[in-house]
Amino acid sequence: MLYFKYFKIHTKCELEYKMSFIMSFISQFFVFFGYYFTIISLFSKFSNIKGFTVYEVLLTFGIIQFGFAFCETFFRGLDKFDDLIVYGNFDRLLLRPRNILMQAFCEQISLIKLSRLLQSIIVLIITLINIDITFSIDKIITLIFMLISSVLIFLSIFILTASYCFFTVKGLEVRNILTDGSKHMAQYPIGIFKKGFVTFFTFIIPFGFVNYYPLLYLLGKSDNKLLIISPLITVIYLIPSIAIFYKGIKKYSSTGS
Amino acid sequence: MSFIMVKHIRKTFKVPIKTEGIIGSLKSFFNRKYRYIKAIDDISFSIKKGEIVGYIGPNGAGKSTTIKILSGILNPDSGSVKINNLIPNVDRKKYVKNIGAVFGQKSQLWWDIPAIDSFNLLKDIYKIDDNEYKKTLNELIDLLNLKDILNIPVRLLSLGNRMKCEIAASLIHKPQVLFLDEPTIGLDAVSKKMVRDFIKKINRQNNVTVILTTHDMKDIESLCKRIILIGKGKILYDGSISKLKKKYDYLRKITIETKDKIDIKRNYIVKEKKFDNKIEFTIDIRQIEINEFIKLLSSKISIIDIDIESSNIDDLIIKLYEEFEI
Repeated sequence: MLYFKYFKIHTKCELEYKMSFIMSFISQFFVFFGYYFTIISLFSKFSNIKGFTVYEVLLTFGIIQFGFAFCETFFRGLDKFDDLIVYGNFDRLLLRPRNILMQAFCEQISLIKLSRLLQSIIVLIITLINIDITFSIDKIITLIFMLISSVLIFLSIFILTASYCFFTVKGLEVRNILTDGSKHMAQYPIGIFKKGFVTFFTFIIPFGFVNYYPLLYLLGKSDNKLLIISPLITVIYLIPSIAIFYKGIKKYSSTGS
Repeated sequence: MSFIMVKHIRKTFKVPIKTEGIIGSLKSFFNRKYRYIKAIDDISFSIKKGEIVGYIGPNGAGKSTTIKILSGILNPDSGSVKINNLIPNVDRKKYVKNIGAVFGQKSQLWWDIPAIDSFNLLKDIYKIDDNEYKKTLNELIDLLNLKDILNIPVRLLSLGNRMKCEIAASLIHKPQVLFLDEPTIGLDAVSKKMVRDFIKKINRQNNVTVILTTHDMKDIESLCKRIILIGKGKILYDGSISKLKKKYDYLRKITIETKDKIDIKRNYIVKEKKFDNKIEFTIDIRQIEINEFIKLLSSKISIIDIDIESSNIDDLIIKLYEEFEI
C-alpha cells in the first residue's frame, strides 16, 4: 500500500539526522509524562473526583492521549495542512493520480511523535494492571472500541481543521479550540463537569462516547449493553468531516488561494 | 485534430484590498474590500502533438495561471481545456497521468534523501509496473547522465543537478505533455545549456509535447519554433519566432569610428548619437539595406572601424512589451 511506502521514506528522512532524532524522541517521551504527574499529584490530595479514582481518570486520560498521539504520528500531514496550502505545495497533490485525502495523510508522518504513542500505551498498561475491573469479553471489546473511537474522533477533528485551511488559508487558533482545548477537558471523565459541558461533549464533539459513556459500562456503573458499541458513534462524525474536506478542494481549485 | 485544445478560458481572482498602517489593517480585517483581477481574459490556442511552445509574457501576465488551468489544478471560470480528449475537472486522476510538470521554484523531490528514493515512490504513486519503470529509469539515467548523482541526498546537489533530477521525476510516468515553469531559473550557463539539450532530446525521442514558460529568451530561441506571448491576460502574439523577428526586429545599431565630420539626415535614420570620434546610427532596415547604408557612409567619410549590433531577442521582447503597453 502506498501509505507504507511513504512511511518508509519519511522514516528514512528522519533517520538522516540520527542524533536529532534520538534527542527529540527521548525529550518527547519524558516531557509529556508531566501530564500524568499532574493527575497523580492531584489525587494525592483528593482520593477521588466525583467518584472516579486515580486509575479510572488515568484510563480516560490514556485513551485520549493514545488517539491523539496516534493521529499526530500517522496523520501528521493533516496537522500541518496549512503549510501545504500556504506554500503552494498542495498543487503537487492535485497533479497526482491518487486520492487527495490519502496523499494529505502521507505528506508528513512523524516517527518522533511515536514516543508519545509509546508513552500512552505504557500508561494504559500500568493503569489496566492496577485498575479495579474484572475483565470479561464484553469489557475487553468495549475497551478496544474506546481506543478505536479515540483515533477516529481525532482523525475527524484533524480532517475538519485541515479543511478549515481551504477557507481561511492559515490554520489559526480555531484548530486548538477543537483539538487541544477539548482534548484537555476530555482527558477527564466528562461526568465531573457541569451539565453544559456534558451536552457539548455529547452532541457537538462526541468525546463523551469515546471515554465517558463506555467507561460507565467498563466500571460497572451502568449495565446498559448499548454502551459497549456507543464509541462507534464517532464514525458518523467522520463522514461530514470528509465531505467538508472535499468541498474545500473544490473551492481551492476555483479560487486558487 | 489538435492534441491540446484551449477554448476561451477566463479566470478572475478576488484580491483583498490592503490599506496601509495598523489602523488600515484593522479596518480591512473587519470590513474587507475586494477588487477583481482578470488573470486570464479569453485565451484560446491549440497545440499539436510533439510541439515545443514557449509561453512568454512579463510577470503577472497570467502565465502560471494558464499552466495551472492546463494541468488541472485550477478550474477556469468559463471556457474549456482538453488534452488528449480528456477534460481535467471531469476525471482528474486519468487526466493527470498524461501530464508531467516542473515548477522551477518548487520541488517534488524529497530534500533529505537521494533522488532515486523519490523516483521509487513516484513509481508507486503512478502505479508503473516494474519492467516499464526500469526501462524508463535507465533511459532517463542515460539521457540526463544521472548515474553519479542519483544516490546523493538531494539537498547536497547543485541547483543544476537538482533540476535534472526534478525533470527526470516529472517524466518517470511517461507523460505525453510536459509543463515547464521556468526550468532554467537560477542556473548557470552550463547547466542551462544542459537542461535545454535534454528538453530537446526528450521532445525528439519520445515525442513529448512541451509547454515552457521562461524569462530567458535564450531558452526560447534554442528550443521553441513557436511562441505564445501574453500580457494582461490576453494573447498578443501566437506564431513563429522568425515571423516575429521580421515584424518587430527592424532596427539595427551601427557604430562607426571616424575622424571626419558628417551630417546626413535621412528618414530611415531613427536615431543618431555622437561621442568623441564615434557615431552611433540606429537605422530602419525595412527602408534601406545595411549594405547600401555603409556604401553611402564610405562615400562621404573614411571609416576606421565599424560595429553592427546583431539583434537580440531580449530587446525584441522589451519592444513588444512596450508596444502592447504591458
